Amino acid sequence: MKKAAALFADSRFLLAFAVVIGAAAGFASLSALQLGSFLVINILLAQSINLLTGLAGQISLCHAAFFGIGAYGSAIFMRDLGLPLPATLAIGTLASAFFGYLLSFPSGRVREFYLAMMTLGFGMIFYEVAKEWTGLTGGVMGFSDIPSPELRNLDVFGFPVTSVWYFRLLLATLLVVLYLLRNFLQSHYGRAFYAVHVGEVAAGSMGISKAATKRRAYALSAAVAGLAGAFYAHLVGYLGPESFGLHKSVEALVMGVLGGLGSLVGPVLGAALLTYLPDRLQMFAEYQFMIYGAILMVSFIVMPRGLAGLLPGRTRFSKRPARAGKEEPPAVAPHRFTPSEARGEALLEVRDVSMSFSGLLALDGVSLSLPRNHVMALVGPNGSGKSTLVNVVSGIYRPTSGRVLLQGADITGWRDYAVARKGVIRTFQDPRNVPNFTVRENILLGAHHLYRHGQVAAALNIPSALREERVYLRKVEEVMEVTGLVTVADEIMRDLPYGYQRIAEVARAVVSDPDVILLDEPAAGLSDVELVRLDRLIRHLRARDIGIVLIEHHMDFLSDLVDDVTVLDDGKVIYRGGMEGMRSDSAVVAAYLGVEEVPHA
Amino acid sequence: MEFAIQLVFSGISVGSVYALIAMGMVLTFWTTRVINFGHGSLLMVGALLTVVLGAGRLGFYKAALIALGITAVLMVLAERAAVRPLVKLAGSMGWIVSTLGLGIFLQGFAAKFFGSQAVAFPSLLFTNDDTIPFLGIRLSAQYLSILGLSLLIMFAMELFLRRSAWGRAVRAVAHDPDLSSIVGIPGRRVVVLSFAASGLLAGAAGIMTAQISGTIDPAFGFNLMVLGFVATVIGGMGSSIGALTGGIFLGVLEKLVGGYVSTAAQHGIAFAVLMIVLAVRPQGLFGKEEITKI
Repeated sequence: MKKAAALFADSRFLLAFAVVIGAAAGFASLSALQLGSFLVINILLAQSINLLTGLAGQISLCHAAFFGIGAYGSAIFMRDLGLPLPATLAIGTLASAFFGYLLSFPSGRVREFYLAMMTLGFGMIFYEVAKEWTGLTGGVMGFSDIPSPELRNLDVFGFPVTSVWYFRLLLATLLVVLYLLRNFLQSHYGRAFYAVHVGEVAAGSMGISKAATKRRAYALSAAVAGLAGAFYAHLVGYLGPESFGLHKSVEALVMGVLGGLGSLVGPVLGAALLTYLPDRLQMFAEYQFMIYGAILMVSFIVMPRGLAGLLPGRTRFSKRPARAGKEEPPAVAPHRFTPSEARGEALLEVRDVSMSFSGLLALDGVSLSLPRNHVMALVGPNGSGKSTLVNVVSGIYRPTSGRVLLQGADITGWRDYAVARKGVIRTFQDPRNVPNFTVRENILLGAHHLYRHGQVAAALNIPSALREERVYLRKVEEVMEVTGLVTVADEIMRDLPYGYQRIAEVARAVVSDPDVILLDEPAAGLSDVELVRLDRLIRHLRARDIGIVLIEHHMDFLSDLVDDVTVLDDGKVIYRGGMEGMRSDSAVVAAYLGVEEVPHA
Repeated sequence: MEFAIQLVFSGISVGSVYALIAMGMVLTFWTTRVINFGHGSLLMVGALLTVVLGAGRLGFYKAALIALGITAVLMVLAERAAVRPLVKLAGSMGWIVSTLGLGIFLQGFAAKFFGSQAVAFPSLLFTNDDTIPFLGIRLSAQYLSILGLSLLIMFAMELFLRRSAWGRAVRAVAHDPDLSSIVGIPGRRVVVLSFAASGLLAGAAGIMTAQISGTIDPAFGFNLMVLGFVATVIGGMGSSIGALTGGIFLGVLEKLVGGYVSTAAQHGIAFAVLMIVLAVRPQGLFGKEEITKI
């Protein structure tokens, strides 16, 4: 089983396998060819919904619409305008991608059941349009006489396309799509999908724009569904609106869920099962919708990872692992360090920042200034505004008044991902990693905004893209060595103890090559051994000319690490200076002992 | 002018049924933060059972009552099977998919055992042709009775929620589940109660919509569910007044578009409204923006 799975994961074997199938198709019956063609189309459709729902986490109840746009697009341009098959396939794909892109604007703004309802609504609009726009789609009477292999009137540049060749064309297309898809998912673009899926705020803190990522996911997913639809149109030769109703969207969802959302192999399995069974089992065809409903009802409880979860191995989310020992020149400039101190500017400056939440003043005129090569502790009782300050600086909140400057540039009110890309990276009180990524993949996410290669390069695995990936994988390796994470590098994050998850998040921040790093209680819940590692990591960082803000309650941990302390109470700075002075400062003592509980130091 | 008034009037009537659908969906949202994506199929079940049971000696009124009972029980079972095990999972994908699955299952069941063709729904109160003169305009008696009935049900529901101990418990759980369990409100039973009430409302709304449309088929309901949701989005998830406002707004809009533009556009307009409203205000027109601690 394990060997077979590994074999199919090898792209060379898969290619050979497909060639054999393609050759054997010459001897297959017409019905077998039909079934095979439907299978490939369903795999494409399942991959499409997996891309959007499984990977990017955006539930879709409208895949029938994308499928239908591709189908009608290709059919109309061929039958009514006489364009050749390659052109109409491209048109169907692009038309669907375009609508997916458009849909991403309203739907990118909503989540959860709002999104589900919105996609349901989009699917219903498409269905109504297909039904009512009789001039274009033939309405309820349907759109017939589409050139198809079965009618023997489909040809490409004069060569007739028979059912055998249509199947071979489908198979070849599938292989190409799977190859591109795999490469894409293993690039920083693919990792960004998952990052947005598990946490939009955390994704923003890594420099990932959730809006851009969703737009990409919608367009790409719709493109694949559109391609599937275009092939479908010529396979069946007739299109009616009933083929693109809710039940088709549900079918796509069932294939994704049953196969296993979030993996590459899952949709293939789901599609295979749901293509084969209705064809072979009369009972299945008869009770099809009850079975679909039942699958949807129970699968998340019984089989949360779908059929793919039963197989050994997992989908990797980075390109091939780093080659040890082989030195290569870095693909990017080492560090965008500008000697700002020479000009007498602070690295990060917070000027008179106030933040109020519907009248409640969480920050009240806070100012601070952080030079390079400096560790500043930010302490204060619970609710004193420490996390709010970090959220303001990192762009999650827009301050009510005041300014935030980075190397003299005003970054007040910038979006979180823009702040991160500018070089301010933060971690969270509760570690926010991608639970089903390995430690290595999680840390690699930190490098997201440093990548320079584009989507096409990522999908084609061109040498420069691979080289870039290797450079950052090596960097991840270095950071893992400093933090003692090498031994767990390939473990799945969710299976690891809390301490590792914390350290990994800090390591992720380090990999992103920041100028300023904001650590929100990194020592909370760490063991003594882990504290030593964290201490080493922070010193390592400071030596690299970075400014560090450390929110912490753990005074022993802070005392010989930090250069100075800023104490917040009730949204105001009440003390600024050395650790020793803080202990005897009357305002600080009052804030801690007089009003609030003693910190658990 | 008479045409316009008749459109507005029938819009108000249809909208009041949308409000019932909306109310049914909001009830479960209050107690469990779950929107039932199978709600539409419950409308269908309520109407279909009325037809099937009522065709015999039972008569349609008794059949309607039994159908209501069955939809209520179905919702309680659904809560047990498709909601409770899934709300524990992170994110909402689990329960969206499982409740959608429930809806698809019911739809498939109805198609398999009662046929997928449209079935005629009998006129229970008035026929299509009965009219009542009102200020010189003839209003459809059927629409009028539907409006009256749904207002009555909404009123009864509101009374129940405000005056009865159980109703107040539902509102308390909706407001703060943790606090209400501390003060001794049996959260579990309140949840079950809210699902049963949601089933009742679904059944009632289904029967009344079928009365207007005249026919039902297994797919009847999914569109209506989305319409009900649009009503909550317009009116806000918080109150029955909001649901009523949203429902009536939507109903009137639909009828006006249907009357003056085309009946084809009538169906699309509601979904377009949904997408636009959500895009402009993702939390709904009257919803509050969620502030999550980061």
